[in-house]
Amino acid sequence: MREGLFIAFSLFTIAAASGVVLSKNPVYSAFSLILSFFGLSGLYLLWGSTFMAMIQILIYTGAIVVLFVFVVMLLNLQVIRENSPNLLFVGVVSATVWFFSLIILRVLTRAIPTNVTEIPTNQLRTISKLLFTRYLWPFEVLSLFLLVMIVAIFAITRAQEISHGGEKV
Amino acid sequence: MNFPLSMTYWSHFVVVAMFALGLLGFLLRKNTIVVLMSIELMLNAVNLLLIETSMRTHTSEGIILVVFVVTVAAAEVAVGLAIVLNLYRMKGSVNLDHFKSLQG
Repeated sequence: MREGLFIAFSLFTIAAASGVVLSKNPVYSAFSLILSFFGLSGLYLLWGSTFMAMIQILIYTGAIVVLFVFVVMLLNLQVIRENSPNLLFVGVVSATVWFFSLIILRVLTRAIPTNVTEIPTNQLRTISKLLFTRYLWPFEVLSLFLLVMIVAIFAITRAQEISHGGEKV
Repeated sequence: MNFPLSMTYWSHFVVVAMFALGLLGFLLRKNTIVVLMSIELMLNAVNLLLIETSMRTHTSEGIILVVFVVTVAAAEVAVGLAIVLNLYRMKGSVNLDHFKSLQG
């Protein structure tokens, strides 16, 4: 039962992910991205990581893909004509990725982590405790990083208006 | 909780397939927005690998790392789309082939 569900979610995720890359219209790509994220969320749930399943839907589909859809709608795009890809190139790239990642995964499945924190049933409490004790400084740096990003986005979107002699907003 | 080994194998299959798809989309597509989506696909493949390793070995470091990755991914998409908006205002297109000069 559990494995069957897992296989179904895996195939669904990969199908949706190929829809992102293959569809001509960026709106279809965005909606395929949503489907793929829901499939991933199901995979996380089957692994027992309820926290990540929630985060996947809340942040990825709720914020990131909505941002994508918003920009696609805002830009009023026409479909870009693309020449069909070089099949040799596609084959070489995918073969390289499969080869190296299989080696890396082989190593990863054998590696035994040392000096790590055991995860109990209450995942959220463990994560938040770790974030505010051992990973406090990375966490704080992350908040500073987000602030810098907000300022950068403002600077990027306003730079055009300023250089054009500053229309009033 | 013990997980069957086939779940690990299927997870690795999804990870590799999603990463390969994202890389191919990143390299081959001309639409800048779809290229950003492909980057998201690659990031999600890595997230799945981290969660899988973390849950299988009953550790929480992978989940912490994923929290950081998700935050940085959200910020990256916001900045990337702001840049795309600006480029569209300048050039009237989001085709990557139209962005040839570094200045203006």
